[in-house]
Amino acid sequence: MTQATLHPSEIRLDDPAIFEEGRAHEVFRILRREAPVHWTPETENVKGFWSLTKYEDIVHVSRNPQIFSSERGITSFEPKEPDLNDVGTRLYGKMIITMDPPRHVRMRRLVNKGFTPRAVAAWEPHIREITNHILDGIAKKGEADFVTEVAALLPLAVICEIMGVPREDWEKMFQYTNQVLGGGDPEFQTDVPEELRGTPEGARQQINLGTAKMFQYFATKLAEHRAQPKEDLVQVLLESEVDGQKLTDEDILWFCFLLILAGNETTRNAIAGGLLALLEHPEEKQKILDNPGIMPIATEEIVRWTSPVLHMARVAKEDVEIRGVTIRKGERVVMWYPSANRDEDIFPDPYRFDVTRQPNDHIAFGIGEHYCLGANFARLEIRVMFEELFRRFPDIELAGPPARLRSTFIGGIKHLPVRFTPEA
Amino acid sequence: MRVVVDPDLCEGNRKCELAAPEVFRVGEDELARVLIERPPEELRAKVEQAARLCPRQAIRLFED
Repeated sequence: MTQATLHPSEIRLDDPAIFEEGRAHEVFRILRREAPVHWTPETENVKGFWSLTKYEDIVHVSRNPQIFSSERGITSFEPKEPDLNDVGTRLYGKMIITMDPPRHVRMRRLVNKGFTPRAVAAWEPHIREITNHILDGIAKKGEADFVTEVAALLPLAVICEIMGVPREDWEKMFQYTNQVLGGGDPEFQTDVPEELRGTPEGARQQINLGTAKMFQYFATKLAEHRAQPKEDLVQVLLESEVDGQKLTDEDILWFCFLLILAGNETTRNAIAGGLLALLEHPEEKQKILDNPGIMPIATEEIVRWTSPVLHMARVAKEDVEIRGVTIRKGERVVMWYPSANRDEDIFPDPYRFDVTRQPNDHIAFGIGEHYCLGANFARLEIRVMFEELFRRFPDIELAGPPARLRSTFIGGIKHLPVRFTPEA
Repeated sequence: MRVVVDPDLCEGNRKCELAAPEVFRVGEDELARVLIERPPEELRAKVEQAARLCPRQAIRLFED
């Protein structure tokens, strides 16, 4: 059947199938043109929300946290009857990602010195070493699931080292992350009864269970650190004060939860999505093989192209107007980054994947108050991964289609079969 | 035009220094300093570009 162009009123951006089936850009193109401030109506249990798809509108909202608040959560999902047993409700105002200024600024300053360009640059030799260790693991096989055997492992290793999580626990961190951020995907609903998998209730339960396991894990770490101080970010948080007050255990546990999740799920998908894009555009991959020196520029294009965080939401603290549309106090406003990063008004030829694109002022890391804390780590990990991958396996190719994550929040790739000439 | 960098927001990403080296310098402490608080009109475009590109939107411009 030939598909007619969708009317904006037929589009629901709470439908994860749009992303799982790879139809998002087709939908966003329609919305940018026809309905750049678009309403997804409420359902029986979940509130409706506004969607912004234009670059300039998303920058405007990001620059004005005093009007567009993060305190009531940063995903499009808001139940009509909040349940305090659900992590989606409990996280309100608890993590730096769900805080507004001035508290956001004070909390972020406890950790941000470890994430500046200079601090991160010092990690390069070690990140290259980890990368090659990961590649050693597939080198002789000639084929691999690029996501679980390569892309996931580098950002996971780095954030775990920052947080002082020992190697034997990395796999757990990977699983818990999937169960929280991928909790809406039946593949990761391993803790819920069979009949609930793939349902909203299954997602709710799995996300809560994954969160509980992560909290339990770090609660044990806090006790260990108190008994014997260590040199990691958990220790920094334990010793930190804001306005003369030590952080509570709850503050610290939410911080750990956020850093582990944000540190490994996102860059994983930039690396996996980046390889997919490069293999689908062999002439672009060839440019990197011919001149690996372009990797810093190519990295920006990979991040623009993949935009692994699909959205962040804010809640309007007063009635405001965007493009003549009135947004009422208390309503949710969702910023769709993949759409901003394909905006025809900002990027010439936005649907062209161009590893030499300059300028490339994408906002895949957000902008303003909540600009991604780990952006410099993400950039370094992506660059070093492709430098080493293409140095060792220049003929890497797809061995099957990608399996995409069922989510409206994370543009995830769960599996990506590849093959290559094995090393002798 | 008057230029101010908010030290609470600046994280030393150096976009300002690249866009308008005459006006911004990132120090050893990884904080941007304003070298010319009231830059001449011919630097306006560069300064506005710096403000637009700052990842944390730490640059504030005030018209005289």
